[in-house]
Amino acid sequence: MDIDGLNDALGLSNDKSQNLGTYIYQPPKHGKSAGERPSKRRKVSSTAGKDEQADRQRFVPLLNGDENAESVQLRYDTYQELWSNQENKIQDILEDVDAGVLTDVLSFVRDTSPQTCDGCIPTALVTVGSNVSSLSRLLSRLNGQLISTEEGSVVVLESGDAPNLKTTLKNIIRATVTNTDGNDGYQKFLTDRAGPRLLGYDLDLLHDYVQRKGTKKLVLALRDSEAFDPGLLTDLLSLFKSWLDRIPFTVLLGISTSVELFEGRLPRSCVALLRGKHFEVQEAGNCVDRIYESLQTDPNTNLWLGRNVTSTLFENTSDYFQSPEAFSRMVKYAYMSHFFANPLGVLLANPDSTILAQTKLCETVRNLPSFRMFCEDLVEEGSIKQVRDMLEDDEYLIQETPKYLDANQQRMRNMFQAVHVVHTCLQYTQSAKKTNVSDLSVRALSGELSESTIVEEMVAMAKTLDSDKLDKLLGRLRGILISPEADVIQEDLRTLLETCSESGPLRSGYNINSTVTKTTVVQQRIRLSKGQADLSEQAVEYTNIVDRLVALLQVHLTETLINPQDLFLHEAFLFDLRNPLKETFAPRPRFAIERALATPFDYLLSSSDVTMTKVSAKQPATAILYQLYLDSGALVNVHDLWQAFYGVFETEEADGCDDRVVMSLFYGALSELKAFGVIKNSRKKTDHLAKSAWMGL
Amino acid sequence: MPQLAFDNSVYEVRDELTGPLMLPKQVASSLSTQWTCRDVQMRQLASLLSSHVPSPPTLIVHGISATCKSTILRAVLATLEVPHAIVRSSECITGRHLLTKILWNILEALGQKEEWEKAGKGRCEHVSGLAVLLEECMAARPVENQGKFVLVLDEIDRQREAPHTLLSALARLGEIIPSLCVVLVLSSTPRPLFLQNAAVPHVSFPPYTRKEAIRIVLSSNAPVVERLPDETSSRVYPYFVSTVYDSLVGPTAGSIPDFRSICERLWPRFVAPVVNGETPPGGNNEWDFSRLLVKNRAIFRHQGESALVHRIVPDETPASVKRAPLAKTAMPSALPSLPYFSTLILTSAYLASHTPQRLDTIFFSKFSSSSLSARNKRAHHRRRLKVLSQAQAEERQAANDDPSTPKKGKRTKTRITKSTLSSAFATSSATTSAVGGGAGIAGPSTILTARPFPLERLLAIYHAIDPNPPATPLRVAAVADRIYAELATLRRLRLVVPAASHNAMATSSGNTTADAGDKWCVNVSGDWIGELAKGIGVEVGEWLAGGLD
Repeated sequence: MDIDGLNDALGLSNDKSQNLGTYIYQPPKHGKSAGERPSKRRKVSSTAGKDEQADRQRFVPLLNGDENAESVQLRYDTYQELWSNQENKIQDILEDVDAGVLTDVLSFVRDTSPQTCDGCIPTALVTVGSNVSSLSRLLSRLNGQLISTEEGSVVVLESGDAPNLKTTLKNIIRATVTNTDGNDGYQKFLTDRAGPRLLGYDLDLLHDYVQRKGTKKLVLALRDSEAFDPGLLTDLLSLFKSWLDRIPFTVLLGISTSVELFEGRLPRSCVALLRGKHFEVQEAGNCVDRIYESLQTDPNTNLWLGRNVTSTLFENTSDYFQSPEAFSRMVKYAYMSHFFANPLGVLLANPDSTILAQTKLCETVRNLPSFRMFCEDLVEEGSIKQVRDMLEDDEYLIQETPKYLDANQQRMRNMFQAVHVVHTCLQYTQSAKKTNVSDLSVRALSGELSESTIVEEMVAMAKTLDSDKLDKLLGRLRGILISPEADVIQEDLRTLLETCSESGPLRSGYNINSTVTKTTVVQQRIRLSKGQADLSEQAVEYTNIVDRLVALLQVHLTETLINPQDLFLHEAFLFDLRNPLKETFAPRPRFAIERALATPFDYLLSSSDVTMTKVSAKQPATAILYQLYLDSGALVNVHDLWQAFYGVFETEEADGCDDRVVMSLFYGALSELKAFGVIKNSRKKTDHLAKSAWMGL
Repeated sequence: MPQLAFDNSVYEVRDELTGPLMLPKQVASSLSTQWTCRDVQMRQLASLLSSHVPSPPTLIVHGISATCKSTILRAVLATLEVPHAIVRSSECITGRHLLTKILWNILEALGQKEEWEKAGKGRCEHVSGLAVLLEECMAARPVENQGKFVLVLDEIDRQREAPHTLLSALARLGEIIPSLCVVLVLSSTPRPLFLQNAAVPHVSFPPYTRKEAIRIVLSSNAPVVERLPDETSSRVYPYFVSTVYDSLVGPTAGSIPDFRSICERLWPRFVAPVVNGETPPGGNNEWDFSRLLVKNRAIFRHQGESALVHRIVPDETPASVKRAPLAKTAMPSALPSLPYFSTLILTSAYLASHTPQRLDTIFFSKFSSSSLSARNKRAHHRRRLKVLSQAQAEERQAANDDPSTPKKGKRTKTRITKSTLSSAFATSSATTSAVGGGAGIAGPSTILTARPFPLERLLAIYHAIDPNPPATPLRVAAVADRIYAELATLRRLRLVVPAASHNAMATSSGNTTADAGDKWCVNVSGDWIGELAKGIGVEVGEWLAGGLD
């Protein structure tokens, strides 16, 4: 659907309501009455020109509409470019993650046949855990592989496709044929055959197809096996079993809970039809960690996600059912909102100065909190002239801004390099629980990593490493920690190790084995004293090397692990707004409705000046009734409710109000509350209503 | 010898006219080398279906599954060389499908497949239409083939979507078309006169007796085990097979394939002491059956029982004998990993299902949680509920015992469920949910059954048991909305189901809209949820009836 159509459908095109926090929904007025059918949607081939236009319209000019068209376009283009890069990376990771399971499943499918399974249906049980989406990726790749080698194909079945046996079989047959031959092929397959036309659910069709194609493996994948009706599944499987001598079925069951639970729910007769193997797909958490790592620490990154966004993202993954795809959608939304709503996003496009030469943009830069901090720092340093230039001379500012932007982006990259260094070191120093990159990143992004206990412990542990481990660590660090000093240290270590290769790994003076506890008896008391054991010459030298490395690490980390919020122009390259992300991905409809009903003037404009907290006749009738409802118990007498409702109107309008009008309002409100599902008729007492929702749950 | 040759040539001459003239006895003897213990049935079938004798229009073959009905029938028909068509009813999805299939299979058997246009264009929607079409087909046969035709309908009592008149209508086919003989193969025991038709011959295939079953299994040789002397094998194997039958197969009414596979699986473990060269006890230098049996008592206790249960993923420990008792405890450790939030919702759903609503204020109210008296009160209620649930369990056991006495065959089965039930109660009294047990627990609502609860109650309990309650009350509102989303996923996994579909699972697999007042129900066992909840720091027993004692 093109953008205009979308706006029409949502009734948004005429007003500016998409920029408003709240608006009253007005359904579009069509010329038809409610009973008539809506007009049929036609497929309209969109012309290229229209697309272009839509492209340009996607982002609106910011800075009160004063932003010029080029920079709007630039923002959009930069977003497209950045995100497509990141998306490719994410795709690569997802494919890489699945590769192991894919080969396992593929070899299982190839190697097993009913004969190897004692006449049972070969079954691959794939537990996916909360990583629900990974199975469909896996299946489509499996399908591709099987088709390319002409061994067979994969038919994916979802619980929605299987309301009853007939439809399920029809769907299976159709999906199998269209998978290889397309939709036309399916129609042709049905008509172009000798003999009578078969019923759509007759497995003879499939048998025919298998013979024609020479299919060796027909994999039937049930993506959400738990959601299938157990009775249907039993029917289906017993049918497959009886056809197994003619159609080479292999069943692949995607399981989200556990194999035992799944098996326990099926009847024993059904379980007896299946035999196979169990595969596990990697958890979503690992996958998401890898995606995040590659997004943030890649040296080509230009835009980073801040601490708040990161913690929101990871909270979602650990607490809820969320697939890596959903994660990447959230990241995409974050990128999108940055470029959509932040005029500084244009800076990331490295534009030439003509585009930047807008007074408004310069003003924006000057109004940044980070600009102010930066200027204060400059003043403290004494370069007042520069500050004055930046404040007064637009051209100078435009000239300087990209420089600082580049420099600060480099510092961000360095920071993530340092996170990488810490992570690498931790792999050698931490024994039990491994801290992952995302944890470290959250700390680094809030500027706490360099003083955190993790780093302190890491440094302390690094001192005690023996030479073998240290050598390995240095080898790993080589690509990450780029400094001449590190190379020198490694070279020294190598030469040292060569001189004493036969005596086993060296230990530094900080190692626990190098301290000796002396026991002396002085005046009938035992005195323990710790002292350095005599170190060999090599050990002393090794200790020396360790000291140098630790010093290097400490200097490097304190230098690079800065607080990103202190960087000038961090608003341009660091997206750290919690809100659009949270509101969009975790909307709160119930909360909003409850609030609107309980305190309607939070949303509506009050006609009187004083904000009232208590019930008044000026509020909508439904809201009045809801507030009365909140005061009542689990069962409400309708007459009491009506009395209270009438009372509200009576007190406000002293000169007597129309009974009938109030009554109609009451009935209207009551039926609206019913439609919300807040009240229902009580079975215990006929003239009472039962409460079925409580506020604040 | 010349006499015999002469005889043969006579048969061959007759052959060309009407097929081999074989007496029922000859058929039986020629087949019984392959399928033993079915002589009577073979002779009955051969005499009823022989092409020289007019057949009854309808014939019923019945017997429980795995009694060789279809196999024997096919073999007899093939030996007699009677033209026949076999339709497997289990492969037909609807009644119409069955009729169409019957028509095609007969056309195919008669070699008239190319002329399907004539036979109603290959379409057949009703039995009466089928009768007409079949009559035409039979009449269209060449004259020399105008003999008898046998139509076998396998497992016809399992036909899906069959109209209730289908069976008797099909049985009439043979009366309408004289040359047709319809054989109905049933796996249930037919009621008298269920075809509304007098004097239909029945051939019964009773389950194999102990002697027969053992004979059948022994007719194939013992499974080959490396380094086991043939002589020992042939000496011990018969005893072993009869022991397996008495201990495992007989009591569970196992079928022959089950019996055979159990023997094959257990035999290598049984003779492992011989193969490994262990010295027999008691100073003897040779293993005999009784010594092996004493040595391997555990096999029949642990592995034997697990061998009875088929698993999709077979245990991959056939070689290691000693791990047997450990393997059982190691298996159910694989818990699924649900996200934190979903686990908490599932736990609250479980608690909502298993706590009587009137006790909600005592168990879940925040106002009374800290005081000592409240804790005592809770403990008191837990204990009372526990006693109650035990009493109910005992009652149920007693109820289970009573009807089981008259039925002889099923008695052992009830005993197994009884023992599993009692062991389940012994380990975790009220924490077991009723869903796993299923059969006996459908009766009145008890402490042990999961009872439906409204959604609002789930939300309230969620807030009560949340181990990390939010600091700001504003955030709470968002939780309810997120719960709905997670609940949808839990429902898809069938961990929590709408109460209506819990009762009638078969009908509702589609997505129905949930109303505000609708009730939900938890659908997994309690042990499992207890484990999961421990993982996120919630102790289910603290809230649950009889949980902590």
